[in-house]
Amino acid sequence: MKFRVDKILQELIDETLDRDHLGRGDEMPGHKPIFVELLSDLEIAGYATRYLDLKGRIAWKATPRLRDLMHDRWLDAVADFDADVA
Amino acid sequence: MPMSLSVLDRVPPSVAFPDQALEANLERLDEEFEIYQTTRNRDAIYRFLEAVFELILWWRHEGMAIHYSRRALWLRGHRPVPKRPEPFAAAIQCTTKVDYKTRSKWSRVLRYAAEYYSGECLTKFIKRKGGINRCAARFTRRLGRTKNPR
Repeated sequence: MKFRVDKILQELIDETLDRDHLGRGDEMPGHKPIFVELLSDLEIAGYATRYLDLKGRIAWKATPRLRDLMHDRWLDAVADFDADVA
Repeated sequence: MPMSLSVLDRVPPSVAFPDQALEANLERLDEEFEIYQTTRNRDAIYRFLEAVFELILWWRHEGMAIHYSRRALWLRGHRPVPKRPEPFAAAIQCTTKVDYKTRSKWSRVLRYAAEYYSGECLTKFIKRKGGINRCAARFTRRLGRTKNPR
């Protein structure tokens, strides 16, 4: 089964998988079970939601809650950067 | 790689939809309805309706709309749960405190849209068809109980 996720979720999951992979070394199982687990966790946390894409297939996208959170983090990062530069 | 892991990898994965995920979906609708109530923008209701529409469409796609609707009603304490709740009305009932007439009207609008829209933005579709009241009336005329006896 192919999982269709939007850009925000894909980046978040990739980041988590990379971090996880660094910690586990050779014992890392295939990405798919972990990908599914992460997607499920994000859905339960209210950060991801399923919908039907234009072709009528199930896909996942970031919820407004996650978008707001990412936006806040981005603003914080910009503020930190400005503070460092100043 | 240990044998058990490679076997696990071969099992086609699917993402489960436990009660916590269902509750998270309902919470999203709660938030959208709260936004609608706290704004004076007349179009704000469309955002809530779009969220309900999106949710029920994938439930229907999976053939689980009735089952998930019943679970949602149960989770939100609407008991006794009807055997075959109307999914759009159930989602609205679980996440708003609107009266029966409003719930029925919104549900008819969404059922009409589910039947006739062709992938465009739901808000645009409803507006193109004359707005919420007109769409509800169209549903009754074309797909209502008297037109579609079961």
